[in-house]
Amino acid sequence: MKKYFQNIAIGALSLIKGLVVTFKNIFCPKITLQYPSERQSMAERFRGLVDLRVNKCIVCSQCVRICPTACLSLSAKLTEEKKKALESFKYNMELCCFCGLCEQVCPVSAVYLNKIYEVASFNRQDLYIDLLNPEKYVKFVNPAVK
Amino acid sequence: METALKESKCITTEEFLINMGPQHPSTHGVLYLELKLDGEVALGCTVHLGYLHRGMEKIAESRTLTQFIPFTDRLDYIASMNNNLAFVLAAEKLLGLEVNARAKYIRVVIAELNRIASHLLGIGCFAQDLGAFATPLFYCFRDREKIVDIFNELCGNRLTYNYMRIGGVQFDFTKEIEIKIKEFIKYMSNKVNDYEWLLSGNVIFLARTKNVGVLLKEVAINYGVTGPNLRASGVKWDLRKDEPYSGYENFQFDIPTGINGDSWDRYKVKLEEIKESLKIIEQAIGALPEGDPTVKAGRQHKLPVGEAYMRSENPRGELGFYIAGDGSFNPYRLKIRPPSFSNLSVIAELVKGCKIADVVCILGSLDIVMGEIDR
Repeated sequence: MKKYFQNIAIGALSLIKGLVVTFKNIFCPKITLQYPSERQSMAERFRGLVDLRVNKCIVCSQCVRICPTACLSLSAKLTEEKKKALESFKYNMELCCFCGLCEQVCPVSAVYLNKIYEVASFNRQDLYIDLLNPEKYVKFVNPAVK
Repeated sequence: METALKESKCITTEEFLINMGPQHPSTHGVLYLELKLDGEVALGCTVHLGYLHRGMEKIAESRTLTQFIPFTDRLDYIASMNNNLAFVLAAEKLLGLEVNARAKYIRVVIAELNRIASHLLGIGCFAQDLGAFATPLFYCFRDREKIVDIFNELCGNRLTYNYMRIGGVQFDFTKEIEIKIKEFIKYMSNKVNDYEWLLSGNVIFLARTKNVGVLLKEVAINYGVTGPNLRASGVKWDLRKDEPYSGYENFQFDIPTGINGDSWDRYKVKLEEIKESLKIIEQAIGALPEGDPTVKAGRQHKLPVGEAYMRSENPRGELGFYIAGDGSFNPYRLKIRPPSFSNLSVIAELVKGCKIADVVCILGSLDIVMGEIDR
């Protein structure tokens, strides 16, 4: 009988201890953001979608070679001044693992990863991106974010 | 009346099989357990694997070493940094590369931070498996979020970091990151006590975990169980102490061990390890050597003809990478020794005689990740 009441006392004490912890948290500042109306700003090094500064690219193909999932492909042409120029630069977002290796190997910082992270789409074709198209990511940028 | 009694004496019970998973919230991934039951008591279980198989080892044979680092993130996706570390250590061993002191220290800080994050998630999910809905898990997630934020600022991603490089790391610590880590150490030291109050002292938690799923020392060793699960059974084995790598020999820390090897000990060892990890981080961040730890990703390494095996202490146990080179840029063969595979294989021994609810408790206490089991 004594043990019975002892157990109840220990149980009640442990409950109070737990409640103290939860009580302390009532006065902590709120940390939940009301997404999508509230958003966290992305870190400086955040790795979003692969993007291209077209005029900087020297067509060295290092990004294509390093890509572990082969999601980048490019073709080059010769300009009238006999210089290499981009003819096409395709990016298959479906395969991309956002590792950022392409950004790191680029010697002229032409390839970079932008800050877009809402990349869901109803259509698979939306995920095959032509990086030379200046309006390629318009559909992924939520107007509320701007 | 008499005939009814006679008939009731003739009623026989029989064992039956029940499928637990693959889509089950408490199986921590796509794990399929075939439970053999007698009423509510489990007589044994068969584990079916392969739902998350992606052929990592075969993929490695057509990738260079640097290209394979992002794939190691996806083995044990809760402790990606530790996977990165184990892989680059194996690659460096094969290539015979030396790493500078600052890179070693940074690796230790990052690996220990990820260990804390992993254990927090392990404890939170374990408590939720026992029915402590939301509260402990949310607290654990809140604290883990601080580590994830540090990693996000450091390397730009929150789960799959791809941070370690062969011969160093991707980015050096900035002053802000160092300050954030120091602040985290202070913050977390206080919070650990909260977990003690919230879970360790709770009678329901104690009743659900004490003497449930007792893993004997001998059984654990025979099955190749490693990490906190082995230490909970009373075996003082930690690669950071017994086979130091990446400069762990320079730090003072203890190896927490359990006594009985039950679910409670497995939980307690994880909680104690968080405290020890905080100690290591504090020592490492306070004595960061000077130098440039960064390595360019574009550098390709030609593998020598030969082989190397390197193991390191992951949050879940001993993660080993075996790499065989044949003189080309890609490995001839890459073998991964994941800790969760051995830790899970012991479950057939543990569930014998347990109730179904205890099977969930045991599974939660083993803290497995299917990503590295199926790989």
